[in-house]
Amino acid sequence: MRLPQWLRPFREARGLPRWILISGIAIVAFFVILAVFAPLLAPYGFDQISTDGVRFPKQASPDSTHLMGTTVQSTDVLSRVIWGSRTAIEVVVLAVVFSLVIGVPLGLISGYVGGKLDRTLVLITDALFAFPYLLLAIVIAFLLSDTALGQGVVTAAVAITVVYIPQYFRVVRNHVISVREESYVEAARALGAPRWTIIRRYVFYNVIQNVPALATLNAADAILTLAALGFLGYGIQPTDAAEWGYDLQRAIDDAGAGIWWTGLFPGLAIVLLVTGFTLVGEGLNDVINPLIRTQRIERPELPELDLAPAGGGGAIAEMAGESEPHGEVRRE
Amino acid sequence: MSRIAKLAAVASAVAAGAFGISACGDDDGGGGEGDTLIWGTTDQPVSYDPAGSYDLPSYNVVFNVYQNLMQVPPGGQKPEPEAAESCEFTDEKNTVYECTLEDGLTFSDGSDFTSEDVKTSFDRNLKIADPQGASSLYLNLKDIETPDPQTVVFNLKASDATWPFLLTTGGAAIAPAEYPADKVQPSDDVTGSGRYQLEEYEPGQQTVLTANPEYSGDDPAQVDTVIIQYYDKSSTLKQAVEQGEVDVAYRSLSPTDIDDLQGADGVDVLEGPGGEIRYLNFNIDLQEGSDEQKLAVRQAVAQTIDRDSIAENVYNGTAEPLYSMIPAALQFHTDAFADEYGDAPDVDAATQTLEDAGVDTPAPLEVWWTPTHYGPASGDEYAEIKNQLDDSGLFDVTLESTEWNQYSEAAFTDKYPVYQLGWFPDFPDADNYTSSFYSKDSFLNIHYSDPEMEKLLAEEKASTDDATREEAFAQIQQIGAEDAPTVPYIELSQVAVAQDGVGGVEDTLDPSYIFRLWLISKD
Amino acid sequence: MSGHGTSLRGYILTRLALAIPTVLILLTLVFLLMRVAPGDPITSALGGRVPAEELERRKEAAGLDKPLPEQYVEYLGDAFTLDLGTTINDDREVTSIIVENGSATLELTIAAFIVALAVGIPIGLLAGRYRDTSIDVGGRMFGIVVYAAPVFFTAFLAQLLFSNVLGWLPSSGRASPVVEFELNKVTHFYLLDTLFSGSWSDFWDVVKHLILPAVTLGLLVSGVLIRLVRVNLLQTMRGDYVEAARARGISERRVVVNHAFRNALVPVITVAGLQLAILLGGAVLTEQSFNWPGIGAELVRYLNERDYIAVQGIITIFALAVVVVSVLIDLINAFVDPRVRY
Repeated sequence: MRLPQWLRPFREARGLPRWILISGIAIVAFFVILAVFAPLLAPYGFDQISTDGVRFPKQASPDSTHLMGTTVQSTDVLSRVIWGSRTAIEVVVLAVVFSLVIGVPLGLISGYVGGKLDRTLVLITDALFAFPYLLLAIVIAFLLSDTALGQGVVTAAVAITVVYIPQYFRVVRNHVISVREESYVEAARALGAPRWTIIRRYVFYNVIQNVPALATLNAADAILTLAALGFLGYGIQPTDAAEWGYDLQRAIDDAGAGIWWTGLFPGLAIVLLVTGFTLVGEGLNDVINPLIRTQRIERPELPELDLAPAGGGGAIAEMAGESEPHGEVRRE
Repeated sequence: MSRIAKLAAVASAVAAGAFGISACGDDDGGGGEGDTLIWGTTDQPVSYDPAGSYDLPSYNVVFNVYQNLMQVPPGGQKPEPEAAESCEFTDEKNTVYECTLEDGLTFSDGSDFTSEDVKTSFDRNLKIADPQGASSLYLNLKDIETPDPQTVVFNLKASDATWPFLLTTGGAAIAPAEYPADKVQPSDDVTGSGRYQLEEYEPGQQTVLTANPEYSGDDPAQVDTVIIQYYDKSSTLKQAVEQGEVDVAYRSLSPTDIDDLQGADGVDVLEGPGGEIRYLNFNIDLQEGSDEQKLAVRQAVAQTIDRDSIAENVYNGTAEPLYSMIPAALQFHTDAFADEYGDAPDVDAATQTLEDAGVDTPAPLEVWWTPTHYGPASGDEYAEIKNQLDDSGLFDVTLESTEWNQYSEAAFTDKYPVYQLGWFPDFPDADNYTSSFYSKDSFLNIHYSDPEMEKLLAEEKASTDDATREEAFAQIQQIGAEDAPTVPYIELSQVAVAQDGVGGVEDTLDPSYIFRLWLISKD
Repeated sequence: MSGHGTSLRGYILTRLALAIPTVLILLTLVFLLMRVAPGDPITSALGGRVPAEELERRKEAAGLDKPLPEQYVEYLGDAFTLDLGTTINDDREVTSIIVENGSATLELTIAAFIVALAVGIPIGLLAGRYRDTSIDVGGRMFGIVVYAAPVFFTAFLAQLLFSNVLGWLPSSGRASPVVEFELNKVTHFYLLDTLFSGSWSDFWDVVKHLILPAVTLGLLVSGVLIRLVRVNLLQTMRGDYVEAARARGISERRVVVNHAFRNALVPVITVAGLQLAILLGGAVLTEQSFNWPGIGAELVRYLNERDYIAVQGIITIFALAVVVVSVLIDLINAFVDPRVRY
């Protein structure tokens, strides 16, 4: 059975990139499971401070009833970490979906159509790029928190979305521009294919290969931005949902008093989940990007010769290529 | 590769060297010597011109750099002359207040301090009416006469027995007549007649004060130089205390920090009575049901709320239960809410109250609070309150919050049915804690109005006689408890932390919120 | 290559010309965002203490009720003359905020940048050189984890370890209070100012305060650099000239060091400059964590107080800085790489 075009790189990946990809997916899957099954997995609610009428101790160190201890508000740290996964995944999914749904089509159209529309959009997104992203997210979260949306999950997601749309736009647009000059696209045009068909059949699939890697790396950034917003106080309130960044903010105070568990666990959760997404992104990059992808090709057996060494393994098998560095999505 | 490796080796050697030096090097952390006191705080000031500020951090410096005509002495409850030799109302209706200045008063630049300076201070404050200033406190002033350089006469528009208290506020500090009449004096160039003078001001970082050699009073500064160092979080301030980087920490450390410092060596945690109250407001128009039912709900909340639990669990004992809108340390305070409802939660009585009025339980309550104005413990506070009210079975509380800017607009424009507020005194008199809330024109805009209350408020304001005021305030507090348009629950103590060897700090922790640096000494 | 000179000049002019609409858009964005946000500096400071009509009166006195278009035009005019005004709440000149606090942030970001280069480049080069070995995996994981840890978490751990437990380093401020007071601030870069003052103990005091924040922020950026350097090296090592060098029989080691490393680093330098945006964003969080009196911390504070004059001024400078840097880098790029032209 022939694999669909876009799955082929996965199949062909070997060795290290495959492991990177797999471990990343495993980590992310772990958190997704935590998020989805939070009500079952978490011992208590995210703002629960008592059970059967008995209050939880305040800032208690980890023990058998509270595996990760309790916070200054007498909530259970483990539960808040688990519920926090739900918040994080919710926000990330929303933010990535929003940005994709807006950024990708915009990039496609702008890149293909060109002209004034393209130039204007490029100007605007360039301007947005110049804005330090965290400040932009803060200001947007600020504005939205005073509207009907309040300070909830959707607000955080929208704030992150606004920051990342230019990224998708830029990447997709650039790729579209290079693809549209390809001979097969020209041929299609010469044959009279309608614009929309060209975009859909040739440009889209070609361009879309870049997007998953970008999306996962942006998911990683989204979690960091969410945590940063929570840390600064513009994020989600503890009575609405559990959020790791907010918990870290309250924990900074605790650290001075030797109370390490309220900050360590949420912090580790952030690190782990972001690492997971990044590994997936890196793995995808390694696998999909033909520029540095390695292919297993059987090396021909050559007779032993007394020649100067010909360089590192795989040199014959690797493809030469040149382009600008990829994989760094935060800048232009 | 080798070049890079070499570079790396050098770099790590330097780093190791730096660590080594710092590790076994000097540990004194920068705390000042005997003639320098370092005061760490998280509150940042607005302006050091009395006409340009209305906030405590600014006043902390103002009270040390300038003098007032009248001032509340440490631990006292009534104003006493400071720059003035004597002051009194000279008419029956308490609308003319005359002060005689002390002899030999001078500003730190050597110029004389006369009645002219007093007049210009007040005139410019009212004229500039800076948005950040406190000019609204002195609107009752009609004009000031200065018959001679030692005499000042205040003519008020309406009787106001609290005028002497108003003279103790930061906005009434006396500045030289040379200050511009139509704009605020820059904060790094201020001149006063107080125990200290301003040496340097770096916004966001430091304010430095040095002892004023021209000070003519008999309680001059004991420490030569005071550096006020600003920290933007209480956790970093606490670390600075532990590392010995500051000698005194005052405002604001979190309850967790304070708890931890209680057990630490080398530092003392000092507490004094405070005047910062926390209370719930009920917007009567927005409440549901008949008037009786609305009243019943308010009373039931007052009966259910567990003040001790909040003080202990949320504030680790740095707060005290409060049974009146007037803090306990102030004159004329009565435990009105305890008298009315008992001093412990009484869920049975609350149940009865609601039943009698025909209110279905659990009664829904939408309670608003703000995370960004009353400290990080607010979240804990309101989670606690919600849990108390919900657990009683009588209420079903929904908590909502918005950040301060939005909150302070919405709360007073009929958007929030029940909301959190804190209050901080302009001056330590019971009037400041009652007329601001119970009068029908109160900024709270909770649509509470009681004619008896109005009468009593007018009475206490107009009289300088303690007995009359005591009677009036007792009734005011009683009505306030019966009607419960606001439900006070705690008052925060004043807390300061001092290193060993620093003395006098506890003497200045009183409800006046004047941090009298001149009482502090250092070994 | 005829016409090299003119096309470079043309590129420069075009690039500069394009910067102007970018700046305009940014300024408008900032203006809209701040004016649209509810709340205003007066209510922020005095709400809850002062009756509503009094608030209104003060707002009027501060000129906060002029029609938006009028405020916009005023704002643009002021921005172009770099008259950034005075803050509403505490009467500070915005330009002085930028000079004093901006230099604090600059000192921090430069130090962090140096740390990032010192850590990121060697590890990235090693990871690329020994591709797919444990060195590579170790280096990449380090880079990933260091980037995944939020700055405030790293700061929290660093403070816990170095300030609380070990007591080696201070955890807040740029200098001890007494040093701060006595320092003669000429450049506002404390490292330089202490050197000028000639006091070694003051200099060490400042260095000690700089270490934790710079390393915390620098590690974060190094994570990004590691990835970048590694990928660039991998691509460079495939380049034709590298193949040619190998074919000529040059040892792998010299191939890597003399040819590949250098060429791999060229694009990295230009890209690293664009990390300015990350650094400025990260600086906000680092400054909050370490009580560093930088411009990020001030921005957050003024934002909370709705002091939009301050916020506008600061964000304008931020954005202008990023635009200037990116234009400069594009120009350097154009100079170095003749393929890049409009």
